[in-house]
Amino acid sequence: MKNIVEVKGLEKNYKSFRAVTGVDFEVGEGEIFGFLGPNGAGKSTTINMLSTIIRPSGGKASINGFDIVADKNKVRASIGLIFQESTLDEKLTANENLMLHCKFYRVPKDKREERIKEVLEIVDLEDKRGNIVDTFSGGMKRRLEIARGLLHYPRVLFLDEPTVGLDPQTRNHIWEYILRLKEKAGITIFLTTHYMDEAEICDRVAVMDHGELIALDTPDQLKTNVGGDIIEIETEDNQTAWKILKEKYEVEVNEAGESLTFQVDKGSEFLVQFVKNFDIPIKTVNLRRPTLNDVFLALTGREIREEAASSKEKMKSNMRKGRG
Amino acid sequence: MEAVYAIWQRDVLKFFRDRARLIGSFAMPFMFLILFGSGMSGAIGSMMGGEEAAGPLRDFDFVEFMFPGIIGMTVFNTAIFSALSVVQDREFGYLREILVSPMSRTSIAIGKVLGGSTVALFQGLMMLVFVPFIGVSITLPIILELIPVMFLVAFAISSIGLLIATSLKTSQGFQMIIQVLIFPMLFLSGALFPLNGMPAWMDFLVKINPLTYSVDMFKKIILQPENLAPALREAMGLNLSVFGHVISFSEEMIVVLVLSILFVVLATVRFNRSEA
Ligand SMILES: Nc1ncnc2c1ncn2[C@@H]1O[C@H](COP(=O)(O)OP(=O)(O)OP(=O)(O)O)[C@@H](O)[C@H]1O
Ligand SMILES: [Mg+2]
Repeated sequence: MKNIVEVKGLEKNYKSFRAVTGVDFEVGEGEIFGFLGPNGAGKSTTINMLSTIIRPSGGKASINGFDIVADKNKVRASIGLIFQESTLDEKLTANENLMLHCKFYRVPKDKREERIKEVLEIVDLEDKRGNIVDTFSGGMKRRLEIARGLLHYPRVLFLDEPTVGLDPQTRNHIWEYILRLKEKAGITIFLTTHYMDEAEICDRVAVMDHGELIALDTPDQLKTNVGGDIIEIETEDNQTAWKILKEKYEVEVNEAGESLTFQVDKGSEFLVQFVKNFDIPIKTVNLRRPTLNDVFLALTGREIREEAASSKEKMKSNMRKGRG
Repeated sequence: MEAVYAIWQRDVLKFFRDRARLIGSFAMPFMFLILFGSGMSGAIGSMMGGEEAAGPLRDFDFVEFMFPGIIGMTVFNTAIFSALSVVQDREFGYLREILVSPMSRTSIAIGKVLGGSTVALFQGLMMLVFVPFIGVSITLPIILELIPVMFLVAFAISSIGLLIATSLKTSQGFQMIIQVLIFPMLFLSGALFPLNGMPAWMDFLVKINPLTYSVDMFKKIILQPENLAPALREAMGLNLSVFGHVISFSEEMIVVLVLSILFVVLATVRFNRSEA
């Protein structure tokens, strides 16, 4: 597989704050590549550097063979971008937004009509073509942005949190579109997310924290690396339980809300003995396969906090409403 | 080239779609012409001696005098506020869609300035609906002469607007700066009263104000001072001179043209350096 994105030692500093600290990775052509990490990890900053919006403080990167600093305009012509915040002109119709995009990207005049139809079909918005974007729902706007990002047939489509602030149903729809895209157009998809289930769909996931890449692999391999099964318990006295687990069972314990989690090799066999013999009364117990959240937990000792993220999103979208 | 066109088209399209703004744009000129102008007319008339005024001065019609200035004011306001769209595009995110496309920044800047100039030209022309009510006679040749001058003035002012807008992050900031800029420039341009017998410092400010020359061009086209009695011409402040030299229409044109080029270059350079 040919690499379409190549990144070496890419970094970004804001004064003395290191937002991205020299990351290296490659993305193969046709891959769905995901960036997973908590708020402030540096995901958007990395995408913004790759898409030539901000200038890296150091390191090198190329897209489709073009350097992101020296060949800006060629990089721009090779990529499609869907930002974390909407960049549609809401006072114009869907068609006008798309038509302007064709002009910005020099889509040949005789192809425009056909392409607009094609991308609107991918996102199921054919019948909304003449409507002012202001009247669209959040999910429809997102879909329109995705459609617009595809108009110029980019080689790589960057999606910064494509489903942020959307309800689960719309999220599923957007994902259907993204997968349909990959099949139809064979383009490379580079996305960021802090939703675990979204990261699962990716071919490969890069886990990011504090501006560093702390792991990069297929979701399956990442989970296998965590090893074994995850046991989650809630007890009458979590603090004492923690101590016992550490001393008697010699496992690494993590606290997740009201419960404690730890890994063991053969989950079901372990559980039978464990519940029978554990000294503290157990309220609930749960055995499961590791998720990407456990991967993150194992790597950093923290969880990717989805609640924090969603409250921040709400704030953002309220602010936008207030202005509009 | 198509990039310039696309950017221009968007601004023009949005201008014509915004009905409220179209109608609202008549409010200020209406108030100035009809309320302020008619009120002042009486006052100025009596100051000049009323019915006993000496010969030609009896013909001083203040509303007529103000009309070219009001056109100037409208063109000026619209052109400079057109740059607000850049700040708003930054706030609402659309600027990113523009800046991450492979279009050159220079095309984008030129498209923006041309869009603002076009919109300002239309607003200026719309002011001609007041003509029947104020008794100036405007013929087709006058309109044809006005169009390129309005466009040139609008181009210069839009460039100044873009230069300011590129440096600012919020529309509040932009609006504040523009307000602070607009009023002194308007008052010191001869748009609202004849520039006669001013103190030296004020005269200096008038002469360095680009709007002075713009407004004077509109006056020369609309009021046709060559057909007026010399005393009336003097009273209307139509003998604009710099260092004792009475400045001609073509000289004013050159001044505004040079300013246009200067500011569009500055704005483009500044815009080229701005981040998304
Ligand atoms: N212009 C800036 N000036 C200073 N610091 C910045 C700037 N932009 C980003 N940062 C900082 O860089 C860090 C990484 O931000 P980034 O937006 O890349 O995070 P993210 O991983 O996309 O997070 P989220 O999930 O919230 O979108 C954050 O700590 C942020 O505060
Ligand atoms: Mg982000």
